[in-house]
Amino acid sequence: MAFYTLGLTFNLVILLTVIVLVVWIYGIYFNFKKWGLGSTGYRDELRDSFWLFLATWIHEAFKDGIWVFLRTLILDVLLLRRTLARSPVRWVMHLSMFYGFLTLAALSGLGLMIDIVEHFNLLGLAQQAEVAKEIMALPFDIFGYLLLIGSTIAVFRRIFLKSVRDNTSAYDAFLIGAVFLITITGFYAEWMRGNAFLVGNLFENPIYAPHFALIHTILALGLFALVLPWSKYIHVIATPLTLLANRGGE
Amino acid sequence: MADNKESKPLLSGFMLSTQLMEVDGCTRCQECMKWCPTFAVRPDRPGITPLYKIARWRELMAKSHSLRAKVFGAKPLDEDEMKIFTEDTYSCTTCGVCGTVCEAGIRTVDLWEAMRPNLVKRGNGPWGKQAAFPTMTKADRNPYLGKQDDRLCWVPKDIKIPQSGEIVYFAGCTAAYRQQALAVASVRILSELNVPFAMLGKEEWCCASAMVRTGQRDVMAEHAVHNVDALKDAGAKTVLFACAGCLRNSEIDWPRWYEGYIPYKNMPLSVFLREKIRKGEVKYKVPIKYTVTYHDPCHNGRHLMHDMGKDWAFEAPRDCIATLPEVKFKEMVRNRALQRCCGAGGGLKAGMPDLALDCAKARVKDGEEVSAEIIASTCPFCRRNIMDGRNDAKSNIKVLDVVELMAAAMGLDTTIPENPYTKYQEQDVLVCGPTTCAVETVERKAPGKDLVGEAE
Repeated sequence: MAFYTLGLTFNLVILLTVIVLVVWIYGIYFNFKKWGLGSTGYRDELRDSFWLFLATWIHEAFKDGIWVFLRTLILDVLLLRRTLARSPVRWVMHLSMFYGFLTLAALSGLGLMIDIVEHFNLLGLAQQAEVAKEIMALPFDIFGYLLLIGSTIAVFRRIFLKSVRDNTSAYDAFLIGAVFLITITGFYAEWMRGNAFLVGNLFENPIYAPHFALIHTILALGLFALVLPWSKYIHVIATPLTLLANRGGE
Repeated sequence: MADNKESKPLLSGFMLSTQLMEVDGCTRCQECMKWCPTFAVRPDRPGITPLYKIARWRELMAKSHSLRAKVFGAKPLDEDEMKIFTEDTYSCTTCGVCGTVCEAGIRTVDLWEAMRPNLVKRGNGPWGKQAAFPTMTKADRNPYLGKQDDRLCWVPKDIKIPQSGEIVYFAGCTAAYRQQALAVASVRILSELNVPFAMLGKEEWCCASAMVRTGQRDVMAEHAVHNVDALKDAGAKTVLFACAGCLRNSEIDWPRWYEGYIPYKNMPLSVFLREKIRKGEVKYKVPIKYTVTYHDPCHNGRHLMHDMGKDWAFEAPRDCIATLPEVKFKEMVRNRALQRCCGAGGGLKAGMPDLALDCAKARVKDGEEVSAEIIASTCPFCRRNIMDGRNDAKSNIKVLDVVELMAAAMGLDTTIPENPYTKYQEQDVLVCGPTTCAVETVERKAPGKDLVGEAE
């Protein structure tokens, strides 16, 4: 089934992706540079250096040795220990979103590379690429559902818990709403193709499926590149780095 | 709108690059809001919570350092907005419970203490009477306008204290000038246990805690270096503290300002005494027939639990209380790392006394909920503020230091010798006979000129 529609060709999508990656990388550099405004020690003066930020971060993260770093990485960054200690529900939410989001992003990147192999028949591997894409369908589904669970909890918390709702800004609402929207469009795009995990052909619509898939792709790219480094989503990067720099806050 | 086109920058120093990163690491999970002691008594002011302070710092920073600012130029800071932000930033006891519960592991105490000097440098901070801290402390080396020569004026005549030795008791300004019952109890116990301890006397300067907490770091360098050098000159190997604020400063802040080697270790007096109890050296004679609860001071609890360990931070004082004869110990609902701050810290008592008082009343209520008759602590500031809260709430609860409870149970004479500061004493004291102790409240006879401990 054709995926590229509305005048977008494969090459255009590749170009769009490259632009997105460039914007994303610049965004990360921009933030590191902004953090690099700070000093390197308690009584040090302000600096303005991307590299000094990295040096300071490495110094802080490894201050107590490699084992503390690894312990923090596993318990606090990967297993979100501090969140679990405070709220199991929020832990499920964050864990689902964290792994759902990151894995889907990684799978998307991998999928793009496989697309390139398939499109240009690199090394004559077009057929194998097609098979690989089919194999990737299941992990896409699993992590998609994981992200759906997490973002649904996030939306419900913001709507139904009064204390959370009262302190929800438009900013929070936009960002959580965006994640939820991207997740939902992703699922709907998948369902419209037919033969989908759990729902079968219930939502099959071959005519509009490519359009919807494109909408989802554009939304995801937009969120990933144009919003992440410039918004609250930067916490996806900054929070793990903070946990590591502060040795898990311990 | 009071825009100032020539506005001074928000960030002029003091912030580590990793702290700027922490600002972006906040996930806005709102956990800090549940625990913040000032927000608990000012629920109509969410702006004082960590979540909002971090968000606004980020917004204010963005005026000069966002992509938009890079492309189109920086926006000047709105002075009205800065005033509100300053008030909110100083409506904080720097108790650190937000950091303890923070899912992102943000070291909030350090973050607030890095924000505040920027506000001071900009001319927005400090808040209220906090501005007098540096001048007063620099003039007299203590914030109570006491004479340095009077540092040991409360020492009972029968106790001789040398100025050098391997064990040094660092009393702190509040015990020396305002809560002498604590200082007397401390030296009585050490003397009774035949501990060869020394004191610095007039060489003991204010730990300068209040200044660092309020973002006025200038005095700190001089005081940190002086105190460390004085302790080194005295030959200290172990320094005992019965004041949580002094202990925190000696353990965390002074080393930041002192460039040489520090050969001694800091130890809470409760830890030292627990060792003596375990060795069987402490003999109790008088029962303490009270229901006692323990209030963990932030400064030697949460602030030090990662440096000194949770056993020293939380368990040692409890263990001391548990050994008192016939005492009934009850834990408050919020205890140890999740304890509720009394409201005295971070310069709040001087800067915003009403807010500090309301926090103290909340803590008194915590004590009342478990039917405690005595709230014991190991911090003179906590004691002062909780007593004020108790008085304002017209509660019958008494407030004492763990060391005083021990001294009373040991049957020691803790009478404070008459001295120039007797008229400023206002505290609950234990008056003991041969078989029983009773708590009495000593009323102050003269108004003080205190800023750190009180805000008259």
